[in-house]
Amino acid sequence: MKPRLAVIKLASCDGCQVTLLDLEDELLAIGEALDVAHFTEASSRFDPDGPFDLTLIEGSVSQPRQIPIVRHARAMSKRLVAIGACANTGGLQALRNWANHEEYLSLVYARPEYIETLAESKPVSELVPVDFELNGCPPDRHQLLEVITAFLVGRRPNIRSESVCLECKRAGHVCVHVAYGIPCLGPVTQAGCGALCPGKRRGCYSCFGPRENANTGSLADDLERKGLPPAEVARRFRLIYGWAPPFRAESARREKP
Amino acid sequence: MTAQALARDDLGALFDALRAEGYRVVGPTLRDDAIVLADLRGPEDLPAGWTVRQGPGTYRVERRDDEALFGFAVGQHSWKGFLFPSRERLVEMRREDGALEHRPAARDAAPLAFLGVRGCDLAAIEVQDRTFMRGRHVDPGYDARRRAAFVVAVDCLEAGDLCFCASMGTGPGVERGFDLRLTELGPRFLVAVGSARGASVAARLPLRAAPAGDERRRRDGLDDARAHMGRTMQADDLPGLLFGNLDHPRWDDVAARCLACANCTLVCPTCFCFSVETVSDLSGTEARRDRAWDSCFTVQHGQIHGATFRPRIKDRYRQWLTHKLGAWVSQFGVSGCTGCGRCIAWCPVGIDLTEEVAAIRATSRPAVAMPPPPAPAPAVREPMVPATARVTAVRRETDDVVTLRIAHEIAFRPGQFHMLGLPAIGEVPISIAGGDGRSVDHTIRAVGAVSGALAALEPGHALGIRGPFGSAWPLEACVGRPVVVVAGGVGLAPLRAALDTMAARPLDYPSVRLLYGARTPADLLFTDDLQRWAADPRFAVRVTVDHAGADWRGDVGVVTRLITDVPPDAVALVCGPEMMMGFSVRALCAAGLPAERAYVSMERNMACAVAHCGRCQLGPYFVCRDGPVFRFDRIARLFDQEGF
Ligand SMILES: Cc1cc2nc3c(=O)[nH]c(=O)nc-3n(C[C@H](O)[C@H](O)[C@H](O)COP(=O)(O)OP(=O)(O)OC[C@H]3O[C@@H](n4cnc5c(N)ncnc54)[C@H](O)[C@@H]3O)c2cc1C
Ligand code: SF4
Ligand code: SF4
Ligand code: SF4
Ligand code: SF4
Repeated sequence: MKPRLAVIKLASCDGCQVTLLDLEDELLAIGEALDVAHFTEASSRFDPDGPFDLTLIEGSVSQPRQIPIVRHARAMSKRLVAIGACANTGGLQALRNWANHEEYLSLVYARPEYIETLAESKPVSELVPVDFELNGCPPDRHQLLEVITAFLVGRRPNIRSESVCLECKRAGHVCVHVAYGIPCLGPVTQAGCGALCPGKRRGCYSCFGPRENANTGSLADDLERKGLPPAEVARRFRLIYGWAPPFRAESARREKP
Repeated sequence: MTAQALARDDLGALFDALRAEGYRVVGPTLRDDAIVLADLRGPEDLPAGWTVRQGPGTYRVERRDDEALFGFAVGQHSWKGFLFPSRERLVEMRREDGALEHRPAARDAAPLAFLGVRGCDLAAIEVQDRTFMRGRHVDPGYDARRRAAFVVAVDCLEAGDLCFCASMGTGPGVERGFDLRLTELGPRFLVAVGSARGASVAARLPLRAAPAGDERRRRDGLDDARAHMGRTMQADDLPGLLFGNLDHPRWDDVAARCLACANCTLVCPTCFCFSVETVSDLSGTEARRDRAWDSCFTVQHGQIHGATFRPRIKDRYRQWLTHKLGAWVSQFGVSGCTGCGRCIAWCPVGIDLTEEVAAIRATSRPAVAMPPPPAPAPAVREPMVPATARVTAVRRETDDVVTLRIAHEIAFRPGQFHMLGLPAIGEVPISIAGGDGRSVDHTIRAVGAVSGALAALEPGHALGIRGPFGSAWPLEACVGRPVVVVAGGVGLAPLRAALDTMAARPLDYPSVRLLYGARTPADLLFTDDLQRWAADPRFAVRVTVDHAGADWRGDVGVVTRLITDVPPDAVALVCGPEMMMGFSVRALCAAGLPAERAYVSMERNMACAVAHCGRCQLGPYFVCRDGPVFRFDRIARLFDQEGF
């Protein structure tokens, strides 16, 4: 019997699931190798009960009703892989974690009483253990394919926790930070995107989140030396992966007057 | 011969000549406001009239007030990108219906002409030659590209802001190693021929006798550059100085600034570290191994199952600097730094190695002695392509350990290891636990993906095998002496063939004591071998376990407790977890054994096992080449050093 795949969505933009659909050349082979049991974005099959061999979970835990979904997904899945910034650190919607969510609700919605929401947008791993975290907003499709392939053939996925700078240098891009003085978060950001932005003469803004051993303090000092005011430095760290602990701590340090 | 010159207006003829001889011309060109190395159509692609201004962490191109074609210092790119590309496919594998095929991947080795190679960069190419071409194992892709490459060197008559080639003895002039050399003197180039290939290209050029005084102008220009180096560094004593100061407070200071981003290592023209990745299709039928530039600033570089050797940024910066300026000399007979200054410019936070070295030197403790480089060895080609072999028998040793017997005709020395691999899963080092010339035994503990898949193989299954690699237990030095063997857990596997050799040669090994520790009685390996050895009157076998039930009649407790009454002329062979080996050697030494008669087998991350990938370094040594078996006194200092 083919291994059963589920793709589950929490609070998210669906971009991660679309990344899976973006694997146009491989989709057929994936469909052949796996039994796609539950993937509402792409298929009419609806089987949220499981069990599953591999579950990809997208989105953050943002509403009370998502808590049992996550617990159930964990219980019914041999392998649970959290994909994307939201599932792994709370995502962009975690910006509300710094504010009063009740206030936000009344500002955004005409009838806030219909909205049930948690005070904080949380990563999946705060509720249940996950077997693998694939980062990126959205994740890189080749990396997603690698995670699926590695699961099927039984190898450790080739997903490295190194900085974007390694990919940037392997690609031969001219370093925007050094050659043009464009602030770049590449040195503290997890590789995976292939250094897309530096290749287009833009600084990395860390849509893959903090890398292992990120020395955010030294980079933030350098950004200040390059003329960015501390508040602006704080904003750079408080973006898509702002709620990830190293970035959260750095933005807090720079915010202080 | 009188000096020859090529008019600047005739430079196009050099491009024509190189193309006529079959070369693709690559060299410096202005792109994206930086001088990069790329394909050149002709002289019009050279950065005429441009220079660069650099400082720690900054680089800007600027107009010159003349139209010089080579009036700039080296940039982010180096020639290593062409000879040792940032990604390269190594091996292709196909598994189908039980058959397994390994073949070398096709290589791109089209001849390139490097136009504008500076002294520091030519020296850097020669440094990498030592890694990839001059050791025991030759990298076939690098070798082919390097032999095909044509070098047009260019002298530096102006020094850059961050250059210190004069300190490192690699520039500013280029005196040897080139095919052709150009010295830019305003409206013409002074041309020197350095090889037969160079002569044949030169014969196609409209050369004229150089005006009298051009050689003088070259020498004066070089003297001027030498006198205006942007940086200096005293380098000759650095290996011993850095290794004598592994606890210097400056390492903490630089670690606070260093991002561990790896830019310094990737722009450095001599850094050679790479990772090997296994890639496959969804079914695992087609697979391949690719390599990619890696760096000691990544965590994976120094990580094995269950241990991370360089967790802190401090450990990684120290690895970079002590390797580059120190260990390199012991490994390859030359410094790993040519003084090009790239790592200073392209460090996002402007860390300057010359400053770090000066700070360490200013308050240093005495230097230590470093080992000399190994003697040259005969070269082995295609070292990364495994042979296909088949499992003939599987014996389950414990819950998570099996011994595979693999049909493979090979001569090995006890203590050496193989790289065992499965196509879509990966490749790992495993010691040779025995063999008879027709087959080898490998005892494998299933701890992760690759070892788990290997341990699940069944008779008839195919796998990839490379080797044998590494150093052996010093069985000749043991002849006529009492031998004490201390083993912990799976650490008995690499010692098994040595014990069998000693069992088979009674006259040479009059007394062998085996002290073996495991977690529980159920974790003991080779129980029938243990009985066989114990039955030999020359052998004394003692087994201890950490925990045991009531029916256990052996010892309980750590293996070091068994180390007593060591004969003063004994040789000790120790293998097990690093911590256990440390305690064991200390106990042996406390019992009177000199450290130079204790041998240990070390474990580090290995992607190649042929001293190319750089991951298994232990200070001046490669564990795959100089180890895994080391005489303890040679590594004692590093053994006790946190973060190495
Ligand atoms: C000289 C030597 C001799 C040895 N002899 C023996 C022996 O006789 N018996 C024995 O049982 N063990 C032996 N070992 C240890 C053995 O090599 C390890 O247990 C094995 O490498 C574990 O690999 P794994 O993939 O199963 O484990 P994992 O935990 O999956 O991986 C271990 C490490 O390998 C790296 N890695 C593995 N796969 C990948 C990948 N796809 N992408 C990126 N990184 C990856 C990672 O850095 C990871 O931390 C020896 C080791 C050495 C160095
Ligand atoms: S551009 Fe950014 S990602 Fe690329 S090397 Fe420079 S700092 Fe690193
Ligand atoms: S260490 Fe720095 S200066 Fe030395 S060769 Fe490497 S990049 Fe150049
Ligand atoms: S270990 Fe040495 S060769 Fe490898 S990246 Fe570090 S400094 Fe460079
Ligand atoms: S020294 Fe500079 S370039 Fe090298 S890893 Fe540290 S921050 Fe990056």
